[in-house]
Amino acid sequence: MSGEPPAAAESRERDDGPAGGSRPVGDPRPATYYHLARAVLYREFLIFVRYPADAIGGIVVALIFFGALFVGGELLAGRALADSIEGIVVGYFLWTLSVGAYSSVSNDIGSEVQWGTLERHITTPFGFAPVALLKGVAKVVRTFLTSAVILAVMLVATGTRLSLAPVTVVAVAGLSIASVLGLGFAAGGVTVLYKRIGSWLNLLQFGFVALISTPVFDLPWTRVLPLAHGSAMLQRAMVDGVRLWEFPLADLALLVGVAVGYLFGGYLVFRVATRRARRLGVLGDY
Amino acid sequence: MARSAASAGGGPRERDETGDEGDGASTATTGPPALAVEGLTKRFGNGGDAVTAVDDVSLAVERGSVVGLLGPNGAGKTTLIKCALGIVIPDAGSVRVFGTDVRDGRRAAYADVDAMLEGARNDYWRLTVRENLRYFATVSGVDPDSVAARHERLLDRLGLADKADTPVRELSRGMKQKVSLASVLAGGAELVFLDEPTLGLDVESARTLRAELRRLAAEAGLTIVVSSHDMTTIEAVCDRVVMLSDGRIVADDAVGALLGAAGRDAVRVASDDLDAGVIATLRDRFDVVAVDRDARPPAVEVAAGGDRLYDLTDALRSAGVTLSEVHTVRPDLEDVFLERTGASGGESP
Repeated sequence: MSGEPPAAAESRERDDGPAGGSRPVGDPRPATYYHLARAVLYREFLIFVRYPADAIGGIVVALIFFGALFVGGELLAGRALADSIEGIVVGYFLWTLSVGAYSSVSNDIGSEVQWGTLERHITTPFGFAPVALLKGVAKVVRTFLTSAVILAVMLVATGTRLSLAPVTVVAVAGLSIASVLGLGFAAGGVTVLYKRIGSWLNLLQFGFVALISTPVFDLPWTRVLPLAHGSAMLQRAMVDGVRLWEFPLADLALLVGVAVGYLFGGYLVFRVATRRARRLGVLGDY
Repeated sequence: MARSAASAGGGPRERDETGDEGDGASTATTGPPALAVEGLTKRFGNGGDAVTAVDDVSLAVERGSVVGLLGPNGAGKTTLIKCALGIVIPDAGSVRVFGTDVRDGRRAAYADVDAMLEGARNDYWRLTVRENLRYFATVSGVDPDSVAARHERLLDRLGLADKADTPVRELSRGMKQKVSLASVLAGGAELVFLDEPTLGLDVESARTLRAELRRLAAEAGLTIVVSSHDMTTIEAVCDRVVMLSDGRIVADDAVGALLGAAGRDAVRVASDDLDAGVIATLRDRFDVVAVDRDARPPAVEVAAGGDRLYDLTDALRSAGVTLSEVHTVRPDLEDVFLERTGASGGESP
């Protein structure tokens, strides 16, 4: 991703601008997509390290939830749970990733609307689209970091051993949650139009449990649903130790196709919703 | 293509009023206006509930001018600004920014435009002041490293230098408003929209912000469109006023011309001797604009410019009135607005 937006290239051949007093003085250079990526990712990084309570709180809540699930499951199912604990850990790991990616993107769009910063981005040379995508990437990276901590604690607490080949896990899990990222964009778009619906859309994250545990071998058509196919592949990668290059090409293609399809579709919904909000004049209303 | 706001001066503002830095004082306007709106219309809702927020509005804002949009809440100021910015899509009409029709390339047209919108934070409160400037310079299409020195001057000028590395959330309301303004200017926007910039500020903060706006406009040659229902802000900052009522322009002229056209030189006299008989006498001979019987002492406002003032004092002396107070009454923009809209009062613009 490089090069500058055409509008910026056209207009930046100018002097020092406001507050420069007599002009020209400086030599402003146009920002490229590299600068935009750096700015957006750096902002996300700053907020992550400056306000760690958000991330730590999320980790603690996720672990308490898992602890309740694990202890309760042992009491109820005993040995049966012990036999399936690896699958539960992998599923829970993917669920925390999914919830993190989905809610951070959809909530973030809602916050940008509330702060008036989304409106400001609309008129910039880059627009909000690449900013939203870059923020999505940052949220995924951040979610991977927090979910890795959760995974590590789960493995230690349950005494479970899993294959943690980083390339395979990151690629399969990353592509799996790309579809959820698309859902996050769609939910963000709906929030732009119907502001107060945001908290209801957060309930969708509990639906991810069903998607993650979908029996794709019994119901092959469910593979095109978000998370379902990726979840099955992640189970094989982490429980059975299958490496990325050992998966059938068709499985990998479907994984990529579902990821791209939902990401693109969700982004399209966001764009359409934003345009409709501009037509209705409700983009900045909150 | 360099959009040289430095060559502005086509607006009514006398660029040499500060005498030192602006170079556009005697330069004629070159190129198309910074903003040209033609037949802009925006309706919200359908059928009987439809509201026409902006009704066939046309106006041009010359480069380097400071134009105020004045009107009561619901007059269409914010909708007009948002239509001009493309944040709201108009039903009809065209918007040209520095000569570029926004329909031909929205992002190219808005490359040198930024806005501070009413009721919005406009920036990121978890970031520091300086980080906000760098971020918004970048999204505005400028490499922040290349304008770092300008950001320092901007911070210094707005009195934010000491708080440059403080998260915005820790600042006062007035300072936050200044940060919003700084972040709007950080990318070198040449056309700036400020929607109710002093809303919610205390008297001192509002005064400081007005002074800064005026100085920035004078020194940096910015084109500024300010919307406000606060006449003090409009009078203090703007060269020209566009008055809106029910989505339509009801007046569009230089501030001085509007006030001059309001045209009455009136005096307000107060005295305990102003009884009904005296007031009736005054009504017979003068244009009595207002009578305030509840005031202590009672007062009348009489249109009495030039030699008529002598006639008035003679008449009052003849009637045995001992004056307690005499004030010159100058028409303000509220008077002009009420005159143009035919309104008799109610909500002030």
